[in-house]
Amino acid sequence: MSAISIPNPQPLHSGFQATPEGLFSCAGPAAALLITLNEKLREAALRAGAEEHCFPTLISEQTLGRADYFQSFPQYASRVETQKRQGSYYLSPAVCYHCYALLADSQIEGEMALTCCGRCFRGDTVDSAHLWEFTMREIVFVGSASFVRAQRERWMEKVRAWAEHLYLDAELVPAEDPFFAAENRGKKLLQQLKQLKFELRARDGSGADMAIASFNLHENFFTQRFNISLRDHQPAFSGCVAFGLERWAMALLARQDAAEALARVEDLQ
Amino acid sequence: MNTSMEGLLKFVNDDLLAQPGKQIGPDTPLFEDGGIDSLKILQLIAFLEVKCGRKIPDELIVMDRFRTVEVIAENFLNL
Repeated sequence: MSAISIPNPQPLHSGFQATPEGLFSCAGPAAALLITLNEKLREAALRAGAEEHCFPTLISEQTLGRADYFQSFPQYASRVETQKRQGSYYLSPAVCYHCYALLADSQIEGEMALTCCGRCFRGDTVDSAHLWEFTMREIVFVGSASFVRAQRERWMEKVRAWAEHLYLDAELVPAEDPFFAAENRGKKLLQQLKQLKFELRARDGSGADMAIASFNLHENFFTQRFNISLRDHQPAFSGCVAFGLERWAMALLARQDAAEALARVEDLQ
Repeated sequence: MNTSMEGLLKFVNDDLLAQPGKQIGPDTPLFEDGGIDSLKILQLIAFLEVKCGRKIPDELIVMDRFRTVEVIAENFLNL
């Protein structure tokens, strides 16, 4: 068996390496940090009543198409081709699309939360903070507009407290690149006014500013496209909170060593 | 009610929302039921710009200034 190697690795942070194309690897305490972060988020989501789901890394073109992904982010999608399989598939750009496909064409009983984690792929900007492949933990909410908004507020409050505990130099700010395209001024202004997206932004070791978590209200964007409603055909709304685990690790290691960061993460409640 | 606010409320009810049999009041939250879409927000801004005689910069279009007709009037129609 030949040894696994990463071609032309560039030093990024202590315990981490990333290729120029944005393929990331880590070892030792840094790997433990990534795994523990994910576990803490998972535990918090389960404690908050979320149901756990596992999804494939591949996602069908049909699902992404139904989510208008190709209109919103045509340049990000990474297509998978193989000779022996039928159908058209992509590497998942976000885990939550699987949730809407799971709930498609159904009425849900009351309010629900789901949590899932997966490898995600976005072929966007090539720099130290934009990995091609990364790990995303998400919590997805579906229910009334007030339920979804309340869940997002609750998670924003919790994660802001976590960031303080972890000594992250992070700031929660309104953001302008929600899941759906802002192709005109009206949409952009409406999104700005309704504050549909917040990001927790922190700095990596090079000082680059990056979003390490996002807190999103989708209104009825996905529920309408995937035909998801509440009982008695009342409209359903959705939202999600998403965490880019490698970026959390990069932001943590920019300010402390892996052992110290790991100890703080283990304390999170 | 001030005439500027009355005019704005009439515009919102009759032209913008135009929901038969349903009228909102000056303190009704405008953006909670999805009635104002990306086109209607531009129509609302255009109406305000004509009434106040100046362009409204994008950075002023935030919920604290647009929550209700009353709040919009206070912020943009110089009550």
